[in-house]
Amino acid sequence: MDRDVILTMRGIEIQFPGVKALDGVDFTLCRGEVHALLGENGAGKSTLIKCLTGVNKMDAGKIELEGKEIRPTDPKNAMDLGISTVFQEINLCDNLSVAENIFIGRQPMKRGQIDWKTINKRSAELLERFHVHIDVTRPLSQYSTAIQQMVSIARAVDVDAKVLILDEPTSSLDSAEVERLFDVMRDLKAQGLGIIFITHFLDQVFEMSDRMTVLRNGRLIGVYNANEITKLELVSNMIGKDLDDIFDLKRAAQKDGAGMMLEADHIGVPGKVENISFSQKKGELLGFAGLLGSGRTETAEMIFGVSRLQDGTIKIDGRTVKINEPMDAIMSKIAFCPEDRKRDGIIGDLTIRENIALALQARRGMMKPMSRKEQDELAEKYIKMLAIATPDAEKKIRELSGGNQQKVILARWMATEPDLLILDEPTRGIDVGAKAEIQRLMLEMCEEGMSIIFISSELDEIIRCSNRIIVMRDGKKAGELNGEGCTQADIMKIIAGEKDGETA
Amino acid sequence: MDKKKSNRFINFITNPKYLMVLATIGIFLAIYIFGAVVYGNKGFTKLRTFAMLFVDNAYIGISAVGMTMVLITGGIDLSVAAVASLTGMFIAYGTTILNIHPFVCMAFAIVVAIALGLAMGAMVTYLKIPPFVATLTGMFLARGVCSLISRDSISIDNDLIDKLAGWKIYFMKLNDAGEWVKIKPVAYINLNVVMFIVMILIGTYILQKTRFGRNVYAVGGNEQSARLMGLPVDRTKMMVYGFNGLCSALAGIAYSLYVKSGWNLALQGGELDVISAAVIGGVLLSGGVGYMVGTFFGVLLKAVIPALITFNGTLSSWWGKIITGALVLLFVALQQIVMTSSGRKKKGPKKKET
Repeated sequence: MDRDVILTMRGIEIQFPGVKALDGVDFTLCRGEVHALLGENGAGKSTLIKCLTGVNKMDAGKIELEGKEIRPTDPKNAMDLGISTVFQEINLCDNLSVAENIFIGRQPMKRGQIDWKTINKRSAELLERFHVHIDVTRPLSQYSTAIQQMVSIARAVDVDAKVLILDEPTSSLDSAEVERLFDVMRDLKAQGLGIIFITHFLDQVFEMSDRMTVLRNGRLIGVYNANEITKLELVSNMIGKDLDDIFDLKRAAQKDGAGMMLEADHIGVPGKVENISFSQKKGELLGFAGLLGSGRTETAEMIFGVSRLQDGTIKIDGRTVKINEPMDAIMSKIAFCPEDRKRDGIIGDLTIRENIALALQARRGMMKPMSRKEQDELAEKYIKMLAIATPDAEKKIRELSGGNQQKVILARWMATEPDLLILDEPTRGIDVGAKAEIQRLMLEMCEEGMSIIFISSELDEIIRCSNRIIVMRDGKKAGELNGEGCTQADIMKIIAGEKDGETA
Repeated sequence: MDKKKSNRFINFITNPKYLMVLATIGIFLAIYIFGAVVYGNKGFTKLRTFAMLFVDNAYIGISAVGMTMVLITGGIDLSVAAVASLTGMFIAYGTTILNIHPFVCMAFAIVVAIALGLAMGAMVTYLKIPPFVATLTGMFLARGVCSLISRDSISIDNDLIDKLAGWKIYFMKLNDAGEWVKIKPVAYINLNVVMFIVMILIGTYILQKTRFGRNVYAVGGNEQSARLMGLPVDRTKMMVYGFNGLCSALAGIAYSLYVKSGWNLALQGGELDVISAAVIGGVLLSGGVGYMVGTFFGVLLKAVIPALITFNGTLSSWWGKIITGALVLLFVALQQIVMTSSGRKKKGPKKKET
């Protein structure tokens, strides 16, 4: 790669209390290059970016932009230097208009007043370039996440950026929107911008990037040209283990004559999901596949009593039960990890210990508080069992990485020792290593006799783990497959409606 | 061309940004027209009645200008009435007891109010004390100093103050003889009303035409984002509380011209009048949304209700409070609905590829 270098970082070191977040990391970015920054959660990607944008101060090391040494003091300073960042969460003000979000802080002035006309005109032009045709005077809140993402990129690019950092820009976009974003990235690349691209989606990494830098535990593992490395090599570099080790998972063995855990008979909530029947044995892992919005989550919510059952019956352990609210489900020893852990799962300001104890305490009721000692033991046990990466149980959960947060939620429900555990997208947004670990845990629990309902959008993990798979389409059960011997194509055919599969 | 214009109009009406302000203006007009129909024969429609809405409420309006900005940043200021009262004490005690020139007293009051505003702003900005608490301490401090100066009401005895308070612009008309005469019944506006309108205009200019004003909205919309967009969040918050201090002092000056006395217990609970005027004017208590013109009509709307009750003559004046309370409730509920339906605060489910 003999192109002109625009940015170099040398020997970057950052010390956090108790951990070395970055340890002598080097990074180079060229003009007109998309450079992927890869690593598991906690590998130091974000820290490196924050160092570049002046959010974190480095303890050692040098940053050079176009040959001149720089020391960004805050995001504004970094922006003035030509380093723009689009963060994972959209960092715009949704009460302001689209145009204003692009120009705020650097509005063109005319006779000492803000020149609204120019702002609106230039914003519209800028977004046209990205093939976004919208009314820029409307509040940002009225537009979709994808549009908002484009707006934040427009803002980032318009400040005469030389380096553009995209931190997980695609995690909230659908595939058409991702394509649109990629077109924009190619445009910008052609204009000579250096783009740092962070994402969990390896396909996208290979589609878009020229080079990749891999970090692990705060150290630089290597820099690779995209055409000289395979996906497998890349992943094993990221996690530092051979892939075969992690994905050496076996489906939970089914015991002969295991009793029925759950029998759902034509259950439904009109308008959402209808006429769903299935049964699940004890110790069985039942996968739910289907597109987003096909009724997977809604089915789980019916079983857990989040939405009230209107048709059909549910039998638990052979007995018909009435589940009107989550508390009823908890009493029947059902547990549910919801899809959006940030919104429905974790309580960020509570410690790991408190988050784990929560569900068990709820089941016991207010009158029987758990002693501190019990809570400590409980937390200790699960931190060890699930290998939650934390110095101690008193850390606030929001300070953990996504994968570890997910493990804490898992621990919360495991602590209640449920007979049936429902996991809705438990591996979303976490990296490969943590994903494999959660899958391994699920399988172990099944071996021990727990039944698990596993909802996931990623077909390969559904196939890898499930004993049986139920495929949903448009709020209805579209098919049922055996996990053994099932391929992604089988599931996809059912999703696409090519066949109503009922394989025995 | 015509079509473009009508499109623009529809856009304007349906833009949720303006919806609250339009609601305020609409309700004000509705109530005013109701008054005109029912009490028109008693003189409700006379210009005098309308002008008196301004004269009697100008000091609330002046304070509401600063409060609007504080609320837009997502803060609140409970000290405004106490600071206004303190300003009144400075003027009354300074001019009448100490014989200091009124302008010196006013200037001193303004400096003190701005300093106190900045101090509260610093507590909010740098010490991260919730605005409610920070300004509550400011309120107690200002009230305390009021009582320290005097426990009794001091009526102001100063020629210049009398002159300022007595300065009026009369509404005139041409009579048959071609001379300008005062209309009957006499209608006028005074210095306070001029201050009120000028402050509304200044406030509008700041909010709409300056970077500082736009930063105020950004901070209220999403402080974290504003910081990451490189906006001077801390400076903006400090300046907003400082500006509100200035407005409180000006409101205090207006109030002392209005009642021509200083009293340590004056304007008790007045901060709530100011806040409710802004809320009725469509300013969002959680920040990020609000317009000066909305606040202007909020003040008028809040003023016209007691006026109606006076005209009715049989209702207890407490009905004014009840109706104001209902209006505040209505607007808070309305805000909630508008905000939810326009998608704000509702972080939609994250989409993802399958």
